[in-house]
Amino acid sequence: MPDFPESAPSRDDLVARLDLMEAMIAEGRQATARCGWIFVLWGIVDLVGVALQRIYPQRWWNWPLIISVGWLIQFTVFFRQRRRAPRVCSPNIKGRAMAAIWGMMGVTLALYCFTAMFTHHGGTTYFAAIFMIIGMAHAASAIILRWGVQGAVAALWWAGGVSLFFLPLTSHWFETIFSLEMLFGMIFFGLYAMFLDRRTPNAHA
Amino acid sequence: MPDLPELDPVVHGKLRLAVLSLLVSVEQADFTWLRDKTGSTDGNLGAQMLKLEEAGYVSVEKRFVARKPQTLYRMTARGRDALAQYVAALKSILGSAL
Repeated sequence: MPDFPESAPSRDDLVARLDLMEAMIAEGRQATARCGWIFVLWGIVDLVGVALQRIYPQRWWNWPLIISVGWLIQFTVFFRQRRRAPRVCSPNIKGRAMAAIWGMMGVTLALYCFTAMFTHHGGTTYFAAIFMIIGMAHAASAIILRWGVQGAVAALWWAGGVSLFFLPLTSHWFETIFSLEMLFGMIFFGLYAMFLDRRTPNAHA
Repeated sequence: MPDLPELDPVVHGKLRLAVLSLLVSVEQADFTWLRDKTGSTDGNLGAQMLKLEEAGYVSVEKRFVARKPQTLYRMTARGRDALAQYVAALKSILGSAL
């Protein structure tokens, strides 16, 4: 990257420098990218889980299996990305906060779900708690990123969680709500985040 | 006619400006990340980073990770001020030129 002459910079030189700054700041802010693909992955994983449970209701290991596959895919992709771009770049405090929120949500759900499974706890209130936890993570993330769309997604998850306490305890209702949450609250939201990341990396940094 | 502000020559260098713009968005970054993002060579980037360090705009930490040397750079408060003043000067000049 050659230096421009230091004396008497032209207007074009100066505009080029502003453009350069903008581009480099955007590169740096990719450290706080939204990682939409993770939402898409888990939306698909959970829908497959529901399908497996419907087809093979007698198999207790449907959900442990599908969740383990989801984790395996996620970590495989993370490690591949790390190998492709192993350079160190510590994100700013916003990036750390985002990583903390979603990482700890994952740990909470893993502990909660596996403990519930091994102690044979379930039912719609079990899933209502899961929806509330996911809604909380989205809400916290929306506040940090100042992203109204994600705030709406948080409200969607909370509404789903609340509805499970009031709706008839039939598998039809539960599967419908669960599938809608996965479609809109995970897959469509994740695709939208991926689209935004490709288009304007620093749109919400 | 009012005098136009002077541009800090340390910040004004294109590669140095690119590095400072990268560092302003992250907490710290290593040499190879900066090199890859700027498309620079080791020698050129090393020379420019030294100028920024001598000006007090970046701080350096050298360490070993898995027995490989790693050089980490952070922007200093003085560097942030310098970049902010550079941007203000740039806008002032461009505003006058319009």
